[in-house]
Amino acid sequence: MDVSNILASHAAKFQSVTVEKETPLDVDTGFLTVTDLTPIDEDSYKSNLEEYLQMTARDGIQALVAALYSLPTQPSPDGPLAQLPAPTTQLPRAKPLPKPKPPTKWERFAAAKGIQKRVREKKVWDEERQEWVNRWGKDGKNKEKEEQWIHEVKADAPVDHDPVKAARDARISRVAKNERQRLQNNARAQTAAGDREERKKDLEKTLATTRISTASMGRFDKKLDGEKKLRGVKRKFEAAETSVEQEKQASLAVLSKLDGDVKRARREKGSGDGVLNVRKAIRNVSKGKGGIALAREANRKGAKGKRGGKR
Amino acid sequence: MLRTVKPRNARSKRALEAREAKEIEDVRTAIFVKGTHTGEIVNGVMKELMALKRPDAISFSKKNTIHPFEDASSLEFWAGKNDASIFLMGQSTKKRPAGLVIARMFDARVLDMCEFGVDRFVSMGEFKTPKSTPGHKPMIHFASELFDTHPRFIQVKTLLMDFFNGEVIEEICLPGLEHVISVSLAPAPSQPLPPILSTSQEEENVDNLPKIHIRTYTVSLLPSGTRIPRVELREMGPFLDLSLRRHQAADPEMWKAALRRPKLKKQDLEKGLGKKKKNMEVDEMGDLRGRVHIAKQDLGKLQTRKMKGLKSLGHGTFEDGDHGEDSEGEGESPRRKKRKRD
Repeated sequence: MDVSNILASHAAKFQSVTVEKETPLDVDTGFLTVTDLTPIDEDSYKSNLEEYLQMTARDGIQALVAALYSLPTQPSPDGPLAQLPAPTTQLPRAKPLPKPKPPTKWERFAAAKGIQKRVREKKVWDEERQEWVNRWGKDGKNKEKEEQWIHEVKADAPVDHDPVKAARDARISRVAKNERQRLQNNARAQTAAGDREERKKDLEKTLATTRISTASMGRFDKKLDGEKKLRGVKRKFEAAETSVEQEKQASLAVLSKLDGDVKRARREKGSGDGVLNVRKAIRNVSKGKGGIALAREANRKGAKGKRGGKR
Repeated sequence: MLRTVKPRNARSKRALEAREAKEIEDVRTAIFVKGTHTGEIVNGVMKELMALKRPDAISFSKKNTIHPFEDASSLEFWAGKNDASIFLMGQSTKKRPAGLVIARMFDARVLDMCEFGVDRFVSMGEFKTPKSTPGHKPMIHFASELFDTHPRFIQVKTLLMDFFNGEVIEEICLPGLEHVISVSLAPAPSQPLPPILSTSQEEENVDNLPKIHIRTYTVSLLPSGTRIPRVELREMGPFLDLSLRRHQAADPEMWKAALRRPKLKKQDLEKGLGKKKKNMEVDEMGDLRGRVHIAKQDLGKLQTRKMKGLKSLGHGTFEDGDHGEDSEGEGESPRRKKRKRD
């Protein structure tokens, strides 16, 4: 009975798991990447490319797997989960870092006073109903006053006092106040971000628009005290005489706006300015022969004309 | 701007929030675009790279007139629309046959680009071997010293890492490691490689740069008798031989901005990302248990019962050794008294 091949396969199973290289492999377990900085061996590369590549890859991956299997693991239903360290390679981000949210007025106050943030639970215990109810929202605790069937009214209350309405108004106004504060916080955050000037301009523009947005374009509107007359943009003219230097600058500015041959050609290639369909126009003029044929014809005509002139 | 885009409903709000910049980013979504003409080779390459990149890949099925090195505006538009930050463009022209361009974006603008020419392509279908499951993370292997020294190959390395694996993850399921992407170079030519002078240099000499061989293998982990298994590789495909062509290096300022990291507390780093508290855990009974580490107590400094008789004598002998102990001991004691009062 020959067991040599069984023995051989058994030995192959327990081949070494260590990799030896002159330069140590650069293993980045965070990105599951290994870099082998050994120069490529030219002889084995040329003699058997695929085998050489697979061999180097196997060595590198063996080192990576060794690094991965020596990490601390956690069991999971699919197998052990290796806890990866932070990657060492620096890859560029896809988006810039998120900017921290500017603090609200309350947050700044709380920070100054050293008030800790406390999360309020959404549910509160209702003694009467013996269950947890929402603090606000559907069947909220904050609507309790409006919904109770009997109200205590003070003896000197006015005749038309409606306790339900009063409670409701108070709640609605609290909501409105919160919303107002939220908007103010937003506006403050924007001024802090540095676009105060922009916001000012925006407000002025809105105000100007609203002032002329009536049927009479603001003519019969009630005027407020100290309200200034709306003025449009005043035209400004350049001085008739300017220095040579200024004149030169102005002319150069105009010239720079004009297109050179190269720029114009490139734009025309992009088929027209939206009004004229250049491609269609060329087809029409050249009777379907195309622009090149047209140009050739024009050249020939020009040449003929010249020759004629000479004669 | 005073006005901001306000989502109309909860779903669009969630979608917008998912697109916002995060401290720890998601994997880059890749867009696969075809140029005006793609030959059979480029089509195959794109299809198979897409199979490797799935599910974070978007395929554009139509042809587009794009010239990324001349005008990248359409890339920027697509990146913004699709929330994608890496592009793979395939285009085959007479001047540059079978070309692939990988472009990486930062903040919906092009960060850097690299163009490859496909010299040889062996499809996945030609190997009758098992393939990896789509969506599994590959292991990546780079082999050559140039990946650490030559700027072109450093760029190629980060591009490929970003393309296949650029996501910070906390843990990985070890049996889920199924395939390997191996990137090796041809041996470097004997004369030193031409250094890249500037990015504006349109056609730098790329003929001297060695070829890139990309190979994909599946991994089988065999028991070795130790904790670490023995790795065997089998060909999976696709196999690619690429040569470098044009490139556009990153603008240094933009690169710096892209490399900015969030400030993470040291303890967060020690315990993995995102974990706030160290040495605290909740046991099975739901009780919070803490672990406190104290340095080893120095028993020499332990305050024992004070006795007048022992005080000056013990101090004097300990400090001064064989000097005249009477005079020194007396000189020391008033200072000690003063310190005590403080």
